[in-house]
Amino acid sequence: MTALDNYIAPTSLEQAVEQLQELGEVTILAGGTDLMPQANAGRVKFKRTLMNIRRIPELRGITREGDEIRIGALATISEIMTHPLIREYLPLLVTVGDHFASSQIRNAGTLGGNVCNASPAGDTLVPLLVLGASVELASMLDDKLFRRSMPLPEFFVGPGKTRLAPAELLAAVRIPVPPKGFVARFHKFGTRPALDISAISIGISGVLDKGTLSQVRVAFGAVGPTPVCGAATEEALEGKKLDAATIAAAAVAARDEVHPISDVRASDWYRKEMIHNMTKRILEDVSASH
Amino acid sequence: MPETIQRDSLIGKRITKLDAPEKASGKTRYIQDLDVQGQLYGKILRSSRVHAKIKRIDTSKAKALPGVHAVITAADVPYQRPIGVAKDHFPLKTDRVRSTRDEIAAVAAESEAIAEAALKLIEVEYEDLPILADPYDSLKPGAPLIHPEPHGASAKHDHLKQAQGIAYLGKPDNVAMTFDYAQGDVAAGERESDVVFEDTFTLHYVTHCCMGVSGIIAEFDSSGNLLLYSNTQVPFLHKREFAEILSMDPARIRIIQPPIGGGFGSKLDIYPFEPICVYLAKATGRPVKLVFTREEEFLASPTRQPVILTLRSGCKKDGTLTFRTVNTLHDNGAYTSWGATTPFVMMQTISSLYRVPHCLYHTKAVYTNNPYAGSFRGYGNLQATFAVEQHMDMMAEAIGMDPLDFRMKNAQDPGEVTPQGMHFKSCGLKECLTTAAEMSGYREKFKINLANRDKPGHIKRGIGMASMLHVGGGAKIYPSDGCGTILKMDDFGSVTLITGASEIGQGSETVLAQLVCEELGLPLSAVRVVNNDTEITPWDVGVHASRTTFIAGNSAIGAAKKARSKILAAAATQAGLNADDLDLRGSHIVEAKSGTVVMSLSKLLRQLHFNDKAELVMTSFYYEPPSRHQDKHFKGDVSAAYAWATQVVEVEVDTDTGIVKMLKVTGAHDVGRVLNRLGIEGQIEGGIVMGQGYALTEELMVENGIVRNPGFRDYKLVTAPEIPEMDVRFIETMDGEGPQGAKGVGEAPAICIAAATANAIHNATGVRIMALPFTPEKVYRALHAAKKEAA
Ligand SMILES: Cc1cc2nc3c(=O)[nH]c(=O)nc-3n(C[C@H](O)[C@H](O)[C@H](O)COP(=O)(O)OP(=O)(O)OC[C@H]3O[C@@H](n4cnc5c(N)ncnc54)[C@H](O)[C@@H]3O)c2cc1C
Repeated sequence: MTALDNYIAPTSLEQAVEQLQELGEVTILAGGTDLMPQANAGRVKFKRTLMNIRRIPELRGITREGDEIRIGALATISEIMTHPLIREYLPLLVTVGDHFASSQIRNAGTLGGNVCNASPAGDTLVPLLVLGASVELASMLDDKLFRRSMPLPEFFVGPGKTRLAPAELLAAVRIPVPPKGFVARFHKFGTRPALDISAISIGISGVLDKGTLSQVRVAFGAVGPTPVCGAATEEALEGKKLDAATIAAAAVAARDEVHPISDVRASDWYRKEMIHNMTKRILEDVSASH
Repeated sequence: MPETIQRDSLIGKRITKLDAPEKASGKTRYIQDLDVQGQLYGKILRSSRVHAKIKRIDTSKAKALPGVHAVITAADVPYQRPIGVAKDHFPLKTDRVRSTRDEIAAVAAESEAIAEAALKLIEVEYEDLPILADPYDSLKPGAPLIHPEPHGASAKHDHLKQAQGIAYLGKPDNVAMTFDYAQGDVAAGERESDVVFEDTFTLHYVTHCCMGVSGIIAEFDSSGNLLLYSNTQVPFLHKREFAEILSMDPARIRIIQPPIGGGFGSKLDIYPFEPICVYLAKATGRPVKLVFTREEEFLASPTRQPVILTLRSGCKKDGTLTFRTVNTLHDNGAYTSWGATTPFVMMQTISSLYRVPHCLYHTKAVYTNNPYAGSFRGYGNLQATFAVEQHMDMMAEAIGMDPLDFRMKNAQDPGEVTPQGMHFKSCGLKECLTTAAEMSGYREKFKINLANRDKPGHIKRGIGMASMLHVGGGAKIYPSDGCGTILKMDDFGSVTLITGASEIGQGSETVLAQLVCEELGLPLSAVRVVNNDTEITPWDVGVHASRTTFIAGNSAIGAAKKARSKILAAAATQAGLNADDLDLRGSHIVEAKSGTVVMSLSKLLRQLHFNDKAELVMTSFYYEPPSRHQDKHFKGDVSAAYAWATQVVEVEVDTDTGIVKMLKVTGAHDVGRVLNRLGIEGQIEGGIVMGQGYALTEELMVENGIVRNPGFRDYKLVTAPEIPEMDVRFIETMDGEGPQGAKGVGEAPAICIAAATANAIHNATGVRIMALPFTPEKVYRALHAAKKEAA
């Protein structure tokens, strides 16, 4: 029995952020695939107003703006998987979709929801980190629609916690168009191939030139309170020839820099082992296919 | 009217289940969809402690909530009686809670939401008691007792009260039940052995995960008659048991079963929510509907019996089995349900799947503060087979024999009476073994995989087999194993088949209709099946033990045969022919030899109704054929027929992750005879997937008495992409007593998978894992430990 006082469905971004500022106590609803199960389980309490953001056109669409691909917060996982711009420039996100939930959930769940839910096991977060994404945040400033941008690594604070201000909406995710020679891999490791929450996940990207990796980005999911960047692993790879010794060193660096917990899905020991083994597997795959 | 009709048969054809269109189109009305005029909604408050004394319950705030009609606790139902297999379980807890599922209070309100809100207003004060979370701890001297003193609302140390069934006197120790069985002399068997193994196998908690969660509607009429809409699998036994529990005249209880969204054994016992719903109906004078949430279904419905099983077994160098000694510890949970009685089935596999001259078997079911187990498809047989069939592979390896040859050497033959007294009138085990092995290429693959074990690469392939024996001709658990049928014919040539057998999704009504059609030469569309109302249907002991096709099938055939003779006799008189020369085909009476049509069935039936005042209602009852009933040492026969199967599992093990992928399952099943090919394939495939979940993914995680994963997010059922390729062949041994030669098959397909998977993992990696499930982390740990040991 959740007594909502108020339900609103703004039809423009400006109207939405205005109402956010005015009403204060608002719960935002996108696809609802995180929000509703959490509310039903009593883990989230609805605030006084429920705002359905699905009618806001500015939150939709996937476009190229200069050297960036802008993915509107309301883009569903299914839309992302089938969009020509994504398939051309960011095929990594198609792979992500393949292992994301089930068709039903992919049709409803949005990228914005996945990012704002800020689960350490959220499956788009690690790929977005290694793609160098930033978030576009919208709010009211001096009675005008105001947008600011924030690099994704700064956005996550803890499980379910972000730097989103109380009267702010996530409007879009922006990703630089990858340079030539760019390679990127994402590995979701769960115990079954469908409908699973990651026990760990790994993303690795960089520019591969004559067997040498540079501009390396590494990120891990489900090994800490937020998705984390793997600085030590990046260092073990940056500027190195991707040979067996580098791969072995990177896998060890990866295992040693994560500090996972034990829960019903996996023990900390097993998570570290899988970070090691899967980092190795991904890198071997990159090395073999180039 | 056709001139001639040739004989046609539905037996062995692929026939869509009669209930399929309704179910596939979402029109079936399950208990969730049923509403009774004026009904209230029931909800149960469960314990927030694992083991505690109840110091105080205050329901006043809940009672004051508008829309609440009743809030009851044990104090409000002093007449409540204990339920369950050992009558050690009061629906509403009186003095203490023994597990987190324990029912403390219940609410009936105008909506589910109000009932839910009222639960939150009930205050309970507890005094915690030490928790017994491990059955070994329960057996330690000085262990706290789970049932230390008499309980029951009005127990008060009164022995008479227990005699009257009102109180449970408690237990001086934590042993809920024991089973002992002995045959031959295991010490002598051991002396003859060249190879002896002893290992402990650990079997975990899984739960049924019925798509339809538990529910019941209870309604009293103004004369005090009780109508229950219930998902029970055993309506007639429950009618009697409800009468006992509620101190009612059984004649005043009527049970209607709405279509049931899955049973798998879970609905074989009465659980607290059922009498509680009746108490609420009584307290409010209104119908009350009580349906579980999915989380409740995980927390408060029974599990498969967890077992710690120590097996010692031996054989000679030539491959002859010599003895088996088994000790099992069953975690009984806080109360006793059917799980405690699984040794009854386990010992059959241990003593009689293969020829073993000497056997000794001890089981203890001990109380803990964990969930309690009920009956579950396979009934202990998955657990026993897991241990027995792993030892078969281990012994074969130790004496250097091919695992298939080793099994063939010890396999049962038709006609055999085992030392336990089981009589295998039909037995296709050897054919199952060779067929499954041949179809899967077992021998060659087994060798190739062995050769590849130590080669580089992280993907290893393995193949493993296991066989099983299970009752397939009813089960003599009760003094009778009967089922009745009423068959009536209208004057259009249609039949209403009224059977005692319940449909729980297994497809029994389709098979029963087919058997009737076979006798009466009717199309399937001419048969309606009525099977869900104790006021209408004849008596039956219920759906369990894979018995329905066999027992209810024979019963239906009996009634159909009566109708057939009556019809043919009348037709013969009318046509001036000999009844023996006539046959029923395509809704007509025909001359058997030529197929020449004599008259249409509907015309004859109308004449019979109008002119001859014929009785076109047939009744029949089938009871299992006489046999040597088991004595108190468990010697004797338990079923009129036994089902056999061999399943071969092929896996791929990723040694970097421990992920076991099930690639293919090849099965050869002695089913007596295939009646509905589509139905039996469905049973086998569903059973294989259930076995796969048991082997690889499913586990109800219980830690210190608390269920950690009460939802489908973390309780992992097998999903579609994981389902292996399946290749199943049926071995038709045409059982002499079976309906058209068929035997029961409901439980069989789930039984071997875990054992065969264990053997396949060993074939792939050389690592033997004796605890289920084979989750990636468990397999990885085992591989890791083996690697360390080798280094
Ligand atoms: C069965 C099932 C399987 C799942 N499997 C996966 C999986 O494999 N991988 C995975 O990562 N996730 C999975 N999820 C979780 C979920 O589907 C995803 O996180 C999804 O992307 C959430 O998007 P949504 O639009 O439904 O978010 P919602 O539930 O609508 O919102 C999630 C949160 O974000 C906030 N929010 C949403 N949009 C905005 C915005 N634009 N600005 C500010 N705040 C916003 C909401 O207030 C809420 O707190 C699964 C969920 C279910 C039910």
